[in-house]
Amino acid sequence: MAPAQRTGRARHRLILLTLVAITLLTVDLRGFEAARVAQGYVRDVLHPVNSLASSIFSPVGDIWNSVFQYDELEAENAALQQQLDALSGAAIQAEADSSAYRQLLESLELPYAPDLETVTARVERGPVGNFASDVVTVNKGHSHGLTEGMTVVTGAGLVGRVDRVDGVTSTVQLLSDPGLLVGVRLVSTNDVGLGHAVPGEPGVFIINQGPNWPQISEAELLPEIGSAVVTDADSRYTSDVPIGRVIEVRPASDELSLEVLVQLANDVEDLAFVSVLITEQRDEPPLLPVVPSTSVPLDLDPGLLNDLNAGDSGGPGGEAAQ
Amino acid sequence: MSALRLGALILVALVVQVTVFADVRISGVAPELLVLFAVMLGYWAGPRSGPTAAFVIGLLWDVYLPTPLGLSAIVFALVAFAVGTGGGELFRDSKVQLAAVAAVGTFGAVAGYALLGEVMGQRGLVDLEMLRVALIAGLVNALLAPLSRPLVAWALGPAFGLSGAGDIR
Repeated sequence: MAPAQRTGRARHRLILLTLVAITLLTVDLRGFEAARVAQGYVRDVLHPVNSLASSIFSPVGDIWNSVFQYDELEAENAALQQQLDALSGAAIQAEADSSAYRQLLESLELPYAPDLETVTARVERGPVGNFASDVVTVNKGHSHGLTEGMTVVTGAGLVGRVDRVDGVTSTVQLLSDPGLLVGVRLVSTNDVGLGHAVPGEPGVFIINQGPNWPQISEAELLPEIGSAVVTDADSRYTSDVPIGRVIEVRPASDELSLEVLVQLANDVEDLAFVSVLITEQRDEPPLLPVVPSTSVPLDLDPGLLNDLNAGDSGGPGGEAAQ
Repeated sequence: MSALRLGALILVALVVQVTVFADVRISGVAPELLVLFAVMLGYWAGPRSGPTAAFVIGLLWDVYLPTPLGLSAIVFALVAFAVGTGGGELFRDSKVQLAAVAAVGTFGAVAGYALLGEVMGQRGLVDLEMLRVALIAGLVNALLAPLSRPLVAWALGPAFGLSGAGDIR
Protein backbone atom coordinates (compact mmCIF):
# COMPACT_ATOMS: atom_id res chain seq x y z
CA MET A 1 0.00 0.00 0.00
CA ALA A 2 1.26 3.48 -0.86
CA PRO A 3 2.38 5.64 2.10
CA ALA A 4 -0.08 8.41 1.14
CA GLN A 5 -2.96 5.94 1.17
CA ARG A 6 -1.89 4.61 4.56
CA THR A 7 -1.71 8.14 5.98
CA GLY A 8 -5.14 8.90 4.54
CA ARG A 9 -6.70 5.88 6.22
CA ALA A 10 -4.98 6.76 9.47
CA ARG A 11 -6.46 10.24 9.28
CA HIS A 12 -9.91 8.86 8.64
CA ARG A 13 -9.59 6.63 11.65
CA LEU A 14 -8.38 9.54 13.78
CA ILE A 15 -11.36 11.63 12.68
CA LEU A 16 -13.66 8.77 13.67
CA LEU A 17 -12.01 8.49 17.09
CA THR A 18 -12.32 12.25 17.55
CA LEU A 19 -16.02 12.13 16.75
CA VAL A 20 -16.53 9.29 19.21
CA ALA A 21 -14.65 11.24 21.89
CA ILE A 22 -16.70 14.40 21.24
CA THR A 23 -19.89 12.36 21.53
CA LEU A 24 -18.75 10.88 24.83
CA LEU A 25 -17.73 14.29 26.14
CA THR A 26 -21.10 15.76 25.19
CA VAL A 27 -23.01 12.88 26.74
CA ASP A 28 -21.00 13.07 29.97
CA LEU A 29 -21.12 16.86 30.27
CA ARG A 30 -24.89 16.82 29.84
CA GLY A 31 -25.16 14.42 32.78
CA PHE A 32 -26.45 11.45 30.82
CA GLU A 33 -27.17 8.87 33.51
CA ALA A 34 -26.22 5.83 31.44
CA ALA A 35 -22.67 7.14 30.93
CA ARG A 36 -22.25 7.67 34.66
CA VAL A 37 -23.63 4.24 35.46
CA ALA A 38 -21.39 2.61 32.85
CA GLN A 39 -18.30 4.25 34.36
CA GLY A 40 -19.35 3.11 37.82
CA TYR A 41 -19.83 -0.41 36.50
CA VAL A 42 -16.31 -0.47 35.05
CA ARG A 43 -14.87 0.74 38.35
CA ASP A 44 -16.86 -1.89 40.24
CA VAL A 45 -15.71 -4.66 37.91
CA LEU A 46 -12.09 -3.61 38.30
CA HIS A 47 -12.37 -2.99 42.04
CA PRO A 48 -11.32 -6.51 43.13
CA VAL A 49 -8.28 -6.31 40.86
CA ASN A 50 -7.39 -2.89 42.21
CA SER A 51 -7.89 -4.04 45.79
CA LEU A 52 -5.63 -7.04 45.24
CA ALA A 53 -3.03 -4.88 43.54
CA SER A 54 -3.23 -2.35 46.36
CA SER A 55 -2.54 -5.11 48.86
CA ILE A 56 0.35 -6.46 46.81
CA PHE A 57 1.93 -3.12 45.96
CA SER A 58 1.21 -1.37 49.25
CA PRO A 59 4.76 -2.07 50.49
CA VAL A 60 6.16 -0.42 47.38
CA GLY A 61 4.43 2.82 48.28
CA ASP A 62 5.44 2.51 51.89
CA ILE A 63 9.08 1.89 51.02
CA TRP A 64 9.00 4.73 48.59
CA ASN A 65 7.58 7.14 51.14
CA SER A 66 9.80 6.18 54.00
CA VAL A 67 12.91 4.13 54.57
CA PHE A 68 12.55 2.81 58.10
CA GLN A 69 9.58 0.69 59.23
CA TYR A 70 7.00 3.00 57.81
CA ASP A 71 4.13 0.62 58.51
CA GLU A 72 4.51 0.71 62.28
CA LEU A 73 5.13 4.42 62.30
CA GLU A 74 2.14 4.99 60.07
CA ALA A 75 -0.15 2.88 62.27
CA GLU A 76 1.10 4.56 65.42
CA ASN A 77 0.81 7.97 63.85
CA ALA A 78 -2.71 7.23 62.60
CA ALA A 79 -3.78 6.06 66.06
CA LEU A 80 -2.33 9.15 67.72
CA GLN A 81 -3.83 11.40 65.07
CA GLN A 82 -7.21 9.78 65.59
CA GLN A 83 -7.02 10.43 69.33
CA LEU A 84 -5.90 14.00 68.78
CA ASP A 85 -8.63 14.58 66.21
CA ALA A 86 -11.25 13.17 68.53
CA LEU A 87 -10.15 15.45 71.39
CA SER A 88 -9.89 18.47 69.14
CA GLY A 89 -13.26 17.78 67.57
CA ALA A 90 -14.87 17.15 70.93
CA ALA A 91 -13.67 20.53 72.20
CA ILE A 92 -15.08 22.36 69.20
CA GLN A 93 -18.27 20.34 69.27
CA ALA A 94 -18.69 21.10 72.97
CA GLU A 95 -18.32 24.80 72.29
CA ALA A 96 -20.83 24.62 69.47
CA ASP A 97 -23.20 22.53 71.59
CA SER A 98 -22.93 24.98 74.43
CA SER A 99 -23.77 27.87 72.15
CA ALA A 100 -26.65 25.98 70.59
CA TYR A 101 -27.97 24.98 73.98
CA ARG A 102 -27.96 28.57 75.20
CA GLN A 103 -29.96 29.54 72.16
CA LEU A 104 -32.25 26.58 72.64
CA LEU A 105 -33.15 27.90 76.05
CA GLU A 106 -33.92 31.26 74.49
CA SER A 107 -35.89 29.92 71.58
CA LEU A 108 -37.35 26.45 71.51
CA GLU A 109 -37.59 26.64 67.73
CA LEU A 110 -33.87 26.18 67.22
CA PRO A 111 -33.14 23.08 65.08
CA TYR A 112 -30.35 20.95 66.39
CA ALA A 113 -28.50 18.01 64.91
CA PRO A 114 -29.98 14.75 66.15
CA ASP A 115 -27.99 11.57 66.62
CA LEU A 116 -27.14 10.42 63.14
CA GLU A 117 -26.43 7.05 61.64
CA THR A 118 -22.88 6.86 60.36
CA VAL A 119 -20.92 4.49 58.16
CA THR A 120 -17.22 4.17 58.85
CA ALA A 121 -15.10 3.89 55.72
CA ARG A 122 -11.43 3.23 55.11
CA VAL A 123 -9.53 5.48 52.76
CA GLU A 124 -8.42 3.14 49.98
CA ARG A 125 -6.28 5.56 48.04
CA GLY A 126 -5.54 9.18 47.55
CA PRO A 127 -6.01 11.05 44.31
CA VAL A 128 -5.15 9.31 41.05
CA GLY A 129 -3.41 11.26 38.34
CA ASN A 130 -1.93 14.70 38.64
CA PHE A 131 -4.93 16.99 38.34
CA ALA A 132 -7.30 15.91 41.10
CA SER A 133 -5.46 16.45 44.35
CA ASP A 134 -8.41 17.04 46.67
CA VAL A 135 -10.24 13.72 46.48
CA VAL A 136 -9.90 10.34 48.18
CA THR A 137 -11.54 7.01 47.44
CA VAL A 138 -13.19 5.16 50.34
CA ASN A 139 -14.25 1.53 50.54
CA LYS A 140 -17.98 2.09 50.97
CA GLY A 141 -20.57 2.75 48.27
CA HIS A 142 -24.21 2.40 47.27
CA SER A 143 -24.43 -1.05 48.81
CA HIS A 144 -23.60 0.48 52.21
CA GLY A 145 -26.22 3.21 51.96
CA LEU A 146 -24.07 6.04 50.65
CA THR A 147 -25.45 8.57 48.20
CA GLU A 148 -23.95 11.62 46.57
CA GLY A 149 -23.78 14.74 48.70
CA MET A 150 -23.54 13.05 52.11
CA THR A 151 -21.37 14.73 54.74
CA VAL A 152 -18.04 13.08 55.53
CA VAL A 153 -16.41 13.65 58.91
CA THR A 154 -13.79 12.38 61.33
CA GLY A 155 -13.61 12.86 65.06
CA ALA A 156 -12.15 16.30 64.41
CA GLY A 157 -14.93 17.52 62.17
CA LEU A 158 -15.80 18.06 58.55
CA VAL A 159 -13.74 16.26 55.90
CA GLY A 160 -15.81 16.91 52.79
CA ARG A 161 -18.73 15.47 50.88
CA VAL A 162 -19.42 12.31 48.94
CA ASP A 163 -18.94 13.23 45.31
CA ARG A 164 -19.23 10.03 43.28
CA VAL A 165 -20.74 6.76 44.48
CA ASP A 166 -20.15 3.33 42.96
CA GLY A 167 -21.38 -0.02 44.18
CA VAL A 168 -18.64 -0.65 46.72
CA THR A 169 -16.50 2.49 46.64
CA SER A 170 -17.04 6.23 46.71
CA THR A 171 -15.05 9.33 45.93
CA VAL A 172 -14.97 12.05 48.57
CA GLN A 173 -14.35 15.67 47.63
CA LEU A 174 -12.17 17.04 50.41
CA LEU A 175 -12.59 20.29 52.27
CA SER A 176 -9.15 21.31 50.97
CA ASP A 177 -10.63 21.78 47.48
CA PRO A 178 -10.95 25.56 47.00
CA GLY A 179 -13.92 24.91 44.73
CA LEU A 180 -15.94 23.37 47.57
CA LEU A 181 -18.12 26.08 49.15
CA VAL A 182 -19.35 25.45 52.67
CA GLY A 183 -22.07 27.31 54.52
CA VAL A 184 -20.67 28.01 58.00
CA ARG A 185 -21.66 29.56 61.29
CA LEU A 186 -19.26 31.51 63.50
CA VAL A 187 -20.03 30.25 66.97
CA SER A 188 -18.92 33.38 68.86
CA THR A 189 -21.03 35.84 66.83
CA ASN A 190 -23.58 33.49 65.29
CA ASP A 191 -22.91 35.04 61.87
CA VAL A 192 -23.35 32.75 58.91
CA GLY A 193 -21.29 32.89 55.75
CA LEU A 194 -19.74 31.03 52.89
CA GLY A 195 -16.20 29.72 53.05
CA HIS A 196 -13.71 27.70 51.09
CA ALA A 197 -10.13 26.45 51.36
CA VAL A 198 -7.33 28.84 50.47
CA PRO A 199 -5.40 27.71 47.38
CA GLY A 200 -1.78 26.97 48.20
CA GLU A 201 -2.30 27.19 51.98
CA PRO A 202 -3.12 23.70 53.25
CA GLY A 203 -5.27 23.64 56.35
CA VAL A 204 -6.50 27.24 56.00
CA PHE A 205 -10.10 28.10 55.25
CA ILE A 206 -11.45 31.56 54.43
CA ILE A 207 -14.93 33.00 55.03
CA ASN A 208 -15.58 36.23 53.19
CA GLN A 209 -19.24 36.53 52.30
CA GLY A 210 -22.69 35.93 53.63
CA PRO A 211 -25.95 37.62 54.51
CA ASN A 212 -25.35 40.49 56.93
CA TRP A 213 -21.66 39.75 56.71
CA PRO A 214 -19.78 42.21 59.01
CA GLN A 215 -18.13 45.18 57.36
CA ILE A 216 -14.82 46.61 58.38
CA SER A 217 -16.52 49.37 60.35
CA GLU A 218 -18.35 46.87 62.54
CA ALA A 219 -15.56 45.97 64.90
CA GLU A 220 -17.98 44.81 67.57
CA LEU A 221 -19.16 42.01 65.28
CA LEU A 222 -15.74 40.48 64.77
CA PRO A 223 -15.44 36.85 65.82
CA GLU A 224 -13.03 36.06 68.62
CA ILE A 225 -9.68 34.62 67.67
CA GLY A 226 -9.75 30.96 68.62
CA SER A 227 -13.52 30.69 68.51
CA ALA A 228 -15.10 27.75 66.74
CA VAL A 229 -16.57 27.59 63.25
CA VAL A 230 -19.16 24.93 62.43
CA THR A 231 -21.38 24.07 59.49
CA ASP A 232 -24.57 26.10 59.29
CA ALA A 233 -28.01 24.54 59.55
CA ASP A 234 -28.94 26.03 56.17
CA SER A 235 -25.88 24.65 54.40
CA ARG A 236 -25.97 21.48 52.37
CA TYR A 237 -24.08 19.73 55.16
CA THR A 238 -25.31 18.35 58.44
CA SER A 239 -25.47 21.26 60.88
CA ASP A 240 -22.96 22.02 63.63
CA VAL A 241 -20.18 19.82 62.29
CA PRO A 242 -16.90 21.38 63.49
CA ILE A 243 -14.75 22.96 60.78
CA GLY A 244 -12.00 24.69 62.73
CA ARG A 245 -11.02 27.73 64.76
CA VAL A 246 -10.64 31.37 63.80
CA ILE A 247 -6.98 32.32 63.52
CA GLU A 248 -7.20 35.76 61.90
CA VAL A 249 -9.71 38.43 60.99
CA ARG A 250 -8.48 40.86 58.36
CA PRO A 251 -9.80 43.39 55.86
CA ALA A 252 -10.52 42.00 52.41
CA SER A 253 -8.62 43.34 49.42
CA ASP A 254 -11.39 45.91 48.85
CA GLU A 255 -10.69 47.32 52.36
CA LEU A 256 -14.43 47.39 53.06
CA SER A 257 -15.46 43.91 54.08
CA LEU A 258 -13.84 41.36 56.34
CA GLU A 259 -12.23 38.03 55.78
CA VAL A 260 -12.12 35.43 58.52
CA LEU A 261 -9.31 32.89 58.32
CA VAL A 262 -9.90 29.52 59.95
CA GLN A 263 -7.43 26.78 60.83
CA LEU A 264 -9.12 23.52 59.80
CA ALA A 265 -9.58 21.04 62.63
CA ASN A 266 -8.92 18.14 60.27
CA ASP A 267 -5.72 17.29 58.46
CA VAL A 268 -7.43 16.09 55.30
CA GLU A 269 -4.13 15.22 53.67
CA ASP A 270 -3.51 12.38 56.09
CA LEU A 271 -6.72 10.42 56.44
CA ALA A 272 -6.99 6.74 57.26
CA PHE A 273 -10.65 6.35 58.25
CA VAL A 274 -13.68 8.61 57.86
CA SER A 275 -17.33 8.50 58.84
CA VAL A 276 -20.14 9.22 56.41
CA LEU A 277 -23.28 10.72 57.93
CA ILE A 278 -26.25 8.84 56.49
CA THR A 279 -28.62 11.74 55.94
CA GLU A 280 -30.37 13.16 52.94
CA GLN A 281 -28.42 16.17 51.73
CA ARG A 282 -29.33 18.98 49.44
CA ASP A 283 -27.18 18.66 46.37
CA GLU A 284 -27.27 22.28 45.33
CA PRO A 285 -24.85 24.89 46.74
CA PRO A 286 -26.24 26.94 49.62
CA LEU A 287 -28.45 29.73 48.35
CA LEU A 288 -27.63 32.71 50.47
CA PRO A 289 -28.21 36.34 49.56
CA VAL A 290 -24.54 37.04 48.99
CA VAL A 291 -23.20 40.51 49.64
CA PRO A 292 -20.58 41.22 46.95
CA SER A 293 -17.29 42.09 48.52
CA THR A 294 -17.01 45.20 46.33
CA SER A 295 -20.27 46.73 47.51
CA VAL A 296 -20.32 49.89 49.63
CA PRO A 297 -22.17 49.29 52.88
CA LEU A 298 -25.10 51.63 53.52
CA ASP A 299 -23.81 52.58 56.94
CA LEU A 300 -20.27 53.29 55.80
CA ASP A 301 -18.62 56.21 57.58
CA PRO A 302 -18.92 59.18 55.12
CA GLY A 303 -15.44 60.31 56.07
CA LEU A 304 -14.00 56.96 55.01
CA LEU A 305 -15.88 57.19 51.69
CA ASN A 306 -14.46 60.69 51.09
CA ASP A 307 -10.97 59.40 51.85
CA LEU A 308 -11.46 56.57 49.35
CA ASN A 309 -12.74 58.96 46.68
CA ALA A 310 -9.81 61.27 47.31
CA GLY A 311 -7.46 58.32 46.93
CA ASP A 312 -9.12 57.32 43.65
CA SER A 313 -8.88 60.85 42.21
CA GLY A 314 -5.12 60.70 42.74
CA GLY A 315 -4.86 57.86 40.22
CA PRO A 316 -4.78 58.08 36.44
CA GLY A 317 -8.59 57.76 36.21
CA GLY A 318 -9.14 60.62 38.59
CA GLU A 319 -6.76 62.84 36.75
CA ALA A 320 -8.47 62.10 33.46
CA ALA A 321 -11.83 63.03 34.97
CA GLN A 322 -10.47 66.35 36.06
CA MET B 1 -1.33 -7.02 16.94
CA SER B 2 -2.67 -9.39 19.55
CA ALA B 3 -5.76 -7.74 21.00
CA LEU B 4 -5.69 -10.04 24.00
CA ARG B 5 -2.09 -9.29 24.87
CA LEU B 6 -2.59 -5.60 24.26
CA GLY B 7 -5.67 -5.66 26.49
CA ALA B 8 -3.70 -7.39 29.22
CA LEU B 9 -0.92 -4.82 28.97
CA ILE B 10 -3.39 -1.93 29.16
CA LEU B 11 -5.21 -3.48 32.13
CA VAL B 12 -2.00 -4.05 34.08
CA ALA B 13 -0.82 -0.52 33.32
CA LEU B 14 -4.17 0.87 34.48
CA VAL B 15 -4.06 -1.07 37.74
CA VAL B 16 -0.48 0.01 38.42
CA GLN B 17 -1.36 3.61 37.64
CA VAL B 18 -4.41 3.60 39.92
CA THR B 19 -2.81 1.73 42.84
CA VAL B 20 0.98 2.11 42.88
CA PHE B 21 1.24 5.59 41.41
CA ALA B 22 -1.44 6.93 43.74
CA ASP B 23 1.24 6.66 46.45
CA VAL B 24 4.54 6.70 44.59
CA ARG B 25 5.11 10.25 43.47
CA ILE B 26 8.19 12.16 42.44
CA SER B 27 8.16 15.70 43.80
CA GLY B 28 4.43 15.26 44.18
CA VAL B 29 3.98 14.18 40.56
CA ALA B 30 2.59 10.74 39.74
CA PRO B 31 4.35 9.02 36.84
CA GLU B 32 2.06 8.96 33.80
CA LEU B 33 2.39 5.28 32.90
CA LEU B 34 -0.73 5.22 30.72
CA VAL B 35 0.50 8.20 28.73
CA LEU B 36 3.81 6.40 28.24
CA PHE B 37 2.10 3.36 26.74
CA ALA B 38 -0.13 5.54 24.57
CA VAL B 39 2.95 7.31 23.20
CA MET B 40 4.92 4.10 22.76
CA LEU B 41 2.04 2.40 20.95
CA GLY B 42 1.77 5.40 18.63
CA TYR B 43 5.51 5.23 18.02
CA TRP B 44 5.77 1.49 17.39
CA ALA B 45 2.35 0.64 15.95
CA GLY B 46 2.20 3.70 13.70
CA PRO B 47 -0.51 6.25 12.97
CA ARG B 48 -3.16 3.67 11.98
CA SER B 49 -3.27 1.29 14.93
CA GLY B 50 -1.50 3.37 17.55
CA PRO B 51 -4.21 6.03 18.06
CA THR B 52 -6.92 3.38 18.44
CA ALA B 53 -5.01 1.63 21.20
CA ALA B 54 -4.19 4.99 22.80
CA PHE B 55 -7.86 5.96 22.63
CA VAL B 56 -8.84 2.83 24.57
CA ILE B 57 -6.15 3.54 27.16
CA GLY B 58 -7.39 7.11 27.55
CA LEU B 59 -11.00 5.98 27.82
CA LEU B 60 -10.19 3.58 30.65
CA TRP B 61 -8.17 6.28 32.40
CA ASP B 62 -11.11 8.70 32.07
CA VAL B 63 -13.25 6.31 34.10
CA TYR B 64 -11.06 7.06 37.13
CA LEU B 65 -10.55 10.78 36.58
CA PRO B 66 -12.98 13.50 37.66
CA THR B 67 -12.78 15.15 34.23
CA PRO B 68 -15.40 14.31 31.55
CA LEU B 69 -15.36 10.93 29.83
CA GLY B 70 -13.46 11.10 26.55
CA LEU B 71 -11.04 13.89 27.49
CA SER B 72 -7.98 11.69 27.99
CA ALA B 73 -9.11 9.44 25.15
CA ILE B 74 -9.06 12.19 22.55
CA VAL B 75 -5.78 13.64 23.83
CA PHE B 76 -4.05 10.25 23.90
CA ALA B 77 -5.27 9.42 20.39
CA LEU B 78 -4.07 12.76 19.00
CA VAL B 79 -0.66 12.43 20.65
CA ALA B 80 -0.29 8.84 19.46
CA PHE B 81 -1.17 9.93 15.93
CA ALA B 82 1.36 12.77 16.05
CA VAL B 83 4.06 10.48 17.39
CA GLY B 84 3.17 7.75 14.90
CA THR B 85 3.24 10.15 11.96
CA GLY B 86 6.44 11.90 13.04
CA GLY B 87 8.06 8.66 14.19
CA GLY B 88 7.98 7.33 10.65
CA GLU B 89 10.71 9.78 9.74
CA LEU B 90 13.00 8.68 12.56
CA PHE B 91 15.49 5.87 12.96
CA ARG B 92 14.36 3.45 15.64
CA ASP B 93 17.60 2.18 17.01
CA SER B 94 18.51 4.70 19.67
CA LYS B 95 17.53 4.75 23.33
CA VAL B 96 18.10 8.49 23.39
CA GLN B 97 15.65 8.96 20.54
CA LEU B 98 13.09 6.74 22.24
CA ALA B 99 13.47 8.67 25.49
CA ALA B 100 13.10 11.98 23.67
CA VAL B 101 9.91 10.80 21.95
CA ALA B 102 8.51 9.64 25.30
CA ALA B 103 9.40 12.92 27.00
CA VAL B 104 7.96 15.16 24.27
CA GLY B 105 4.88 12.98 23.82
CA THR B 106 4.19 12.90 27.56
CA PHE B 107 4.66 16.65 27.90
CA GLY B 108 2.26 17.16 25.00
CA ALA B 109 -0.33 14.77 26.40
CA VAL B 110 -0.29 16.27 29.90
CA ALA B 111 -0.39 19.85 28.60
CA GLY B 112 -3.05 18.94 26.03
CA TYR B 113 -5.18 17.27 28.67
CA ALA B 114 -5.01 20.38 30.88
CA LEU B 115 -5.70 22.78 28.03
CA LEU B 116 -8.61 20.82 26.64
CA GLY B 117 -9.97 20.28 30.14
CA GLU B 118 -9.91 24.01 30.74
CA VAL B 119 -11.75 24.54 27.46
CA MET B 120 -14.34 22.01 28.64
CA GLY B 121 -14.96 24.05 31.77
CA GLN B 122 -12.69 22.31 34.28
CA ARG B 123 -11.15 24.96 36.51
CA GLY B 124 -7.57 25.31 37.68
CA LEU B 125 -5.89 22.93 35.25
CA VAL B 126 -3.75 25.42 33.37
CA ASP B 127 -1.15 27.17 35.50
CA LEU B 128 2.55 27.01 36.31
CA GLU B 129 1.95 23.84 38.29
CA MET B 130 0.71 22.18 35.12
CA LEU B 131 4.02 22.99 33.41
CA ARG B 132 5.93 21.51 36.35
CA VAL B 133 3.80 18.36 36.26
CA ALA B 134 4.23 18.00 32.48
CA LEU B 135 8.02 18.47 32.73
CA ILE B 136 8.52 15.97 35.56
CA ALA B 137 6.13 13.44 34.00
CA GLY B 138 7.99 13.82 30.70
CA LEU B 139 11.36 13.23 32.34
CA VAL B 140 10.12 10.19 34.27
CA ASN B 141 8.62 8.68 31.15
CA ALA B 142 11.86 9.32 29.25
CA LEU B 143 13.58 7.11 31.82
CA LEU B 144 10.85 4.47 31.69
CA ALA B 145 10.61 4.37 27.89
CA PRO B 146 13.42 1.82 27.26
CA LEU B 147 11.93 -0.41 29.98
CA SER B 148 8.51 -0.28 28.36
CA ARG B 149 9.79 -1.40 24.98
CA PRO B 150 9.86 -5.17 25.64
CA LEU B 151 6.31 -4.99 27.00
CA VAL B 152 5.08 -3.13 23.92
CA ALA B 153 6.96 -5.59 21.71
CA TRP B 154 5.25 -8.49 23.46
CA ALA B 155 1.82 -6.86 23.12
CA LEU B 156 2.21 -5.91 19.46
CA GLY B 157 3.75 -9.18 18.37
CA PRO B 158 6.29 -9.84 15.61
CA ALA B 159 4.19 -8.25 12.82
CA PHE B 160 5.36 -4.82 13.92
CA GLY B 161 9.04 -5.66 13.67
CA LEU B 162 9.69 -5.44 17.38
CA SER B 163 11.65 -8.34 18.76
CA GLY B 164 12.30 -7.22 22.29
CA ALA B 165 14.95 -5.06 23.87
CA GLY B 166 17.96 -6.63 22.24
CA ASP B 167 18.19 -4.58 19.07
CA ILE B 168 18.21 -1.17 20.61
CA ARG B 169 21.36 0.74 21.37
